[in-house]
Amino acid sequence: MVPMPASKPAVPLTVNDFTVLPLRPPPLPSYPQETNHYLYLRANAPKVPTEDTPREVFLVNVPVDTTEVHLRALFAEQLGGVRVESVGFEGTKRVGKGITAPVIAAIKRGRKRKRGVENYEAGAAGQEVGRLPEVWDREVHSSGGTAVVTFVDKASAEMAVKEARRAAKSGRQIVWGAGVEGKLPPLGSARYQAHHALRYPDPATLQQSVDDFMTAFSAREAVRAKELHRVRSVPDADGFVTVTRGARIAPGAREEDAGKKEEEGARKREKRKVGEDFYRFQVREKRKEQQLGLVRGFEEDQRRVEEMRRRRGKMRPE
Amino acid sequence: MAASGVKRRKLEHVSSDEDDDASFASFGESDEIVAEPLGDEDEGLEDVDDEDGSLADEAAGEPEDVENDKQNGEDVAKIATPRFIAAQQGQDRTDGAKARRAALDAGGGAYMTGTFKSNMFKLQVDELLEQIRPRRGKREEAAEEALHALKKTFDQVPARGSLLTDEAEQQLLKSSKVIVPFPQPRPPRDAKYKLEFAGPSSINVIGSYALKTNLRSKEALEIDMVVTMPSSLFQEKDYLNYRYFYKRAYYLACLAASIKDEPTEYDVQFADLHDDQLRPTLVVSPPKPPSNEDMVKQSPRWRINVIPSVSADVFSQDKLSPSRNCVRAAGDTKAGPTSFYNSSLRADALPPSYLKLLHNAASTCDGFRDACLLGSTWLRQRGFAARISAGGFGNFEWSALIALLLQGGGPNGKPILSEGYSIYQLFKATLQVLAMRDLSKTALVVGAGDAKPTGDGTPMLWDASRAHNVLYKVTPWAYSQLRQDARTSLTMLGDQLFDGFDATFIMRTDNPLLRYDYVVDIPASAILAEKGSYHKLFSTLKRGVGDRTSLVTMKTPPSALWRPGSRRSKPAPDASISVGIVVNSDTFNRTVDHGPPAESKAEAASFRKFWGEKAELRRFKDGSITESLVWGTGESGQTVLEQVVRFLLSRHIGQDAEQSASFVGHGFARLLRQGASMAAYSPLMEAYKQLETDIRGLERMPLSVRHIMPADPQLRYCSIRPPFDIAGRQRPTPANITIQFEGSTRWPDDVAAIQRTKIAFLLKLSELLQEASAAITARVGLENPSDESLNQAYLDIAYGSGAAFRMRIHHDREQTLLERQLKDKSLAPSSKEAAARALAAYKRDYIKAPAHTQAVARLCSRYPALSGTVRLLKKWFASHLLAHHIAEEVIELIAVRTFVQPWPWQTPSSVQTGFLRTLHWLARWDWRAEPLIVDLSGTGELKAAEVQAIRTRFEAWRKLDPSLNRIVLFAASSLDPDGTTWTDGRPQRVVAGRMTALAKAACAEVQEKQVALEPAGLFASPLSVFDFVLHLDPALSGGKQRKGASNGTTFKNLELAAQDDESMIGFDAAQLLLDELETLYGSAVLFFSGGSERPVIAGLWSPQTARRGWKMNLAYSTIPQRVRAKEETVRAEINKDAMLAEIARLGRELVERVEVSSR
Repeated sequence: MVPMPASKPAVPLTVNDFTVLPLRPPPLPSYPQETNHYLYLRANAPKVPTEDTPREVFLVNVPVDTTEVHLRALFAEQLGGVRVESVGFEGTKRVGKGITAPVIAAIKRGRKRKRGVENYEAGAAGQEVGRLPEVWDREVHSSGGTAVVTFVDKASAEMAVKEARRAAKSGRQIVWGAGVEGKLPPLGSARYQAHHALRYPDPATLQQSVDDFMTAFSAREAVRAKELHRVRSVPDADGFVTVTRGARIAPGAREEDAGKKEEEGARKREKRKVGEDFYRFQVREKRKEQQLGLVRGFEEDQRRVEEMRRRRGKMRPE
Repeated sequence: MAASGVKRRKLEHVSSDEDDDASFASFGESDEIVAEPLGDEDEGLEDVDDEDGSLADEAAGEPEDVENDKQNGEDVAKIATPRFIAAQQGQDRTDGAKARRAALDAGGGAYMTGTFKSNMFKLQVDELLEQIRPRRGKREEAAEEALHALKKTFDQVPARGSLLTDEAEQQLLKSSKVIVPFPQPRPPRDAKYKLEFAGPSSINVIGSYALKTNLRSKEALEIDMVVTMPSSLFQEKDYLNYRYFYKRAYYLACLAASIKDEPTEYDVQFADLHDDQLRPTLVVSPPKPPSNEDMVKQSPRWRINVIPSVSADVFSQDKLSPSRNCVRAAGDTKAGPTSFYNSSLRADALPPSYLKLLHNAASTCDGFRDACLLGSTWLRQRGFAARISAGGFGNFEWSALIALLLQGGGPNGKPILSEGYSIYQLFKATLQVLAMRDLSKTALVVGAGDAKPTGDGTPMLWDASRAHNVLYKVTPWAYSQLRQDARTSLTMLGDQLFDGFDATFIMRTDNPLLRYDYVVDIPASAILAEKGSYHKLFSTLKRGVGDRTSLVTMKTPPSALWRPGSRRSKPAPDASISVGIVVNSDTFNRTVDHGPPAESKAEAASFRKFWGEKAELRRFKDGSITESLVWGTGESGQTVLEQVVRFLLSRHIGQDAEQSASFVGHGFARLLRQGASMAAYSPLMEAYKQLETDIRGLERMPLSVRHIMPADPQLRYCSIRPPFDIAGRQRPTPANITIQFEGSTRWPDDVAAIQRTKIAFLLKLSELLQEASAAITARVGLENPSDESLNQAYLDIAYGSGAAFRMRIHHDREQTLLERQLKDKSLAPSSKEAAARALAAYKRDYIKAPAHTQAVARLCSRYPALSGTVRLLKKWFASHLLAHHIAEEVIELIAVRTFVQPWPWQTPSSVQTGFLRTLHWLARWDWRAEPLIVDLSGTGELKAAEVQAIRTRFEAWRKLDPSLNRIVLFAASSLDPDGTTWTDGRPQRVVAGRMTALAKAACAEVQEKQVALEPAGLFASPLSVFDFVLHLDPALSGGKQRKGASNGTTFKNLELAAQDDESMIGFDAAQLLLDELETLYGSAVLFFSGGSERPVIAGLWSPQTARRGWKMNLAYSTIPQRVRAKEETVRAEINKDAMLAEIARLGRELVERVEVSSR
């Protein structure tokens, strides 16, 4: 049971250079307790600032159900009426320290990207095509996650942080989720039902997305093949020709071919080999090997019994 | 301590040298010397270690020792010295094969030459013998002191004059308050013969204590003391009509009186020797200490059985042969043979003779004593003992059997066993004799002579030179159990992949719930407590159940001890006879029994007589007219077997017995929906076949189909619930299948592009399928949106009948591409990791899962009880909220193991035994040090080399990950030698620990309650152990239907329509919520879900969320706190309240209530 914050040492107003803003989510019948959620915010200070940096505010520990609508409403209605331009949520996965929980590691909530197309300089740079349809109507975020809020101008950003500090100091209650009613798809089973429906997109849409993807893909392949061909045939400045994997043989056939060659080679090698019992030293060595194997096996067994005894104590009938 | 240790080492070494002369006497002595300075048993271990060390030292120091040691097979420690090995090789060159053999004998190789199962086995047996050999301690000293005191007392008892029975009894009662323990029937009032007492002609200690073949155990030490009555007391005809036994009882009463008269501190009671009421004995035990707990523990526990005996030449051995009658009323000459009575009397005359036999065997055969110890252990673990109620086959019978087989019993009177056999060979060959020969049909005769079994099922081991049937008190029911156990043990010892040591000597296998499929408990009071009535019950049941069972056996209540001053005690009122039944899983539910045809008159008459009004003459489809029996199909709640047994009880034993009998065994199968039968799966299986034909019949497919493979628990008879309800009330869960097309060069050469191409294929397939049949609805669904190398889409195919399938395309090029990515050195570690994950998923979903499904489905049809066992086990895991941690395939492997490696039992033939034995194994499974290896072929295709490879892999994993962060359970099979396919990262160690703890608790419950066990009780565990519990809305979470409509607006037809809606197939809100919670809070909370069995999700806060310095990137919600006011450092405390509130918001109406444990 978590002790109520009141009985604990006081919650500080700031942590490092973050302002601590307590939020009060309205209680639900299933969990009627009054709770405080602590949001940390400060002006954004990335290692490599961009021109938008002065307009940005960095949030830590956003509630899992945060949406852009939530943050717009929060700043517009409860924190000085400043206007939010956009919100970027932390997209990377989170892995707890020490545990490599594969469940978490396996799931990435990144935006869908056509990485291949983007990375390849000759392709349609930056343009995403053939994305599969979204399957959620509303994203949720990992607990303790971060977000970057971009305001319309620098003044608004400063205002927002100042207002948050004042609200925290005065102990004014900030209600989480006020002013978003009706603007968002609901959570709970309705959201899961929507998800279930979204997982089965219209076949035509799906076909279209696949077609787009495959067109882009074959274009990319064609460009790449051309590029490889060029590299292969034209010597570079030093007069060297780069060796690349040729695309002459179709992939399936190539694979089969390699397998066959290997098999043939193995057969040939087999033929050339001298029988195992040909030389006397071979027989002797084999025998020696066998004996050593016995001894080793015995030692191994002894060790195992020893181990067993250590683990279970004395061997006694139950 | 150090000084004594050195001394001991010397002594011990001397003794081990003496082993060469095979002098058991000297061995025993040295054992005593060693044991003497030891106060407590724990030091025994150090002792052994010391010995090993000294031997190794010595071997290294004295090279000339090497030759001598070659003969000494026991000194295994020397193998480690390199010089020894060199010597071996030197010999090799000169002497060839013979020398090699000697060298092998000398070293560890001796154990490999067939004298033992394996090195492991031999080492463990040595270790065990070390622990069970008798040792002289305080208890033994106290007992021997008592022996001397008793002898002195008995030698000084004055003779009593001869009196008529009544007078003698009265006098003894008056003078010493001892009631003579006459056997039933009591001597007649007008008996003419007289009873008298005279000092014993000799007093001896016999039995296992004298031979040093008694087990060292926590139970009381038993010593048999034989008091030979002087021959002068008996007349030639006293063997008739119990006269000998009356005189014996009087003699015993006089001995009891003599102890009572003496001011000794011992406790004296009467008891029936081995439950044989003809032969009461006097039990002398240490005085009961005042009711002080400590004293009870401290007092050495022993008991001395004083057994009166008679010299062998008093009665003619011919008159007492098993075929003669010795109890008859005057003038009655037709009475049948009284074999038990005769042998009982013979047994009283033979103790010294058998002591001599056993002693001889011990001195001529090296392994005899140890083989006896092993045999006693084996019998004890299986619940056999010399008492008739425990089977009548005990330590003595085992040793006598070996001793006799060393003398003869083979063809032409040649011995079956040889004195040169090793301990293990003696043990195994004796088991072989027990298993292979049915001594109740053909007697085993040792020595010159001939004997026939008595015919009532009692085995006959005829010792011709002593004219005695050694096994006369083994009951027919215990004998069939004994043979069964011997057979099982033999097969087990023959299983090369299984180290049968634990199952042979360590595990107790006598728990009736684990041993039998059905147990019938009948109160002893409902059955007349005569010997004949038990036999009648047994033979009636055995005949009645016939081939429905493979074993019927019973356990009768033991007789109790009683004080000399009181009458022989009646059996306790709550005593009961329990009948254990092992069913034949093919036939036990047969509803129509065919009897003999009407033409064979005699048989038909006997059939009618046996079954009474139940027998009907019927004409069957094939034209035959036979007597037959028709049973109900089990709708009445009673299985066919129960109906049969109840009918037999009421017809042949009595209404009382039928009314009061309780029947255990069907309770577990009843816990499963639609029962344990596999019939519920046939609609799905048929639909699957239909689908296969439908797909193969499609025209205009771009590529032809190579394989369609099932890959789902529903398609291997293993889902907790049967696939779809007959009533159609339950939404079907789509069953996974994979489809593979013929190879084509037109597939793209990129993993992501392959996934998109698959979508195109599925779209085409869905179009074609819907065109082909109106009964099919097919939709393409998306999955794994975040990882492009994983499968992106599947095709849901629903049939109008209610069956649903989820199809994924298997394309083998993916594997090559992913493997290439793994090998690519230029790739970033993170994408390599992703490739490894994708590869593992590929192998699991497309290669391992279909193969596993096929293998398990095949095993399910081979072992009818397997399907039910797996389903029950899955239910157990789900009920304890472990279901989503432990993969279904692992649970299946665990259950299959019980069937393909059933030792120390036979393959389970019912859900109850299958389930309980699996739990029993689970409780003992030390997953830290032992891999789970299952042969899924079921036909022994797994070879020793493969097992070795799996073990090596297991050990490599343990070395790589010693703290068990990634692989906790290692579950390999003949199809999956990797062993990590289903257990990579899941379950975590704490979950596996909980699994073991729960299994242990369940086994303790089974052990404690035995037949009174309530099956449902094993499936409940308190939720209070968790930090918080989310109670889900059962209706919304897809579990049970909400009971009754909550308000008037819900209409039944709307409800049904909503469920019938095919677009909702595969929707499971609770599962989606759980997955999301794990994604969002996985690093801070460990979630437990009850799946479909219990609508709750429970959670434990991870210990990693303890209070710590505040930082930005903690993966959970926090409260900032200043440790002390005015201090700079700020701590982060996990904000549990806010997180629970978030979860409540996330689940909204799915979560009915969040309960926080008040711990």
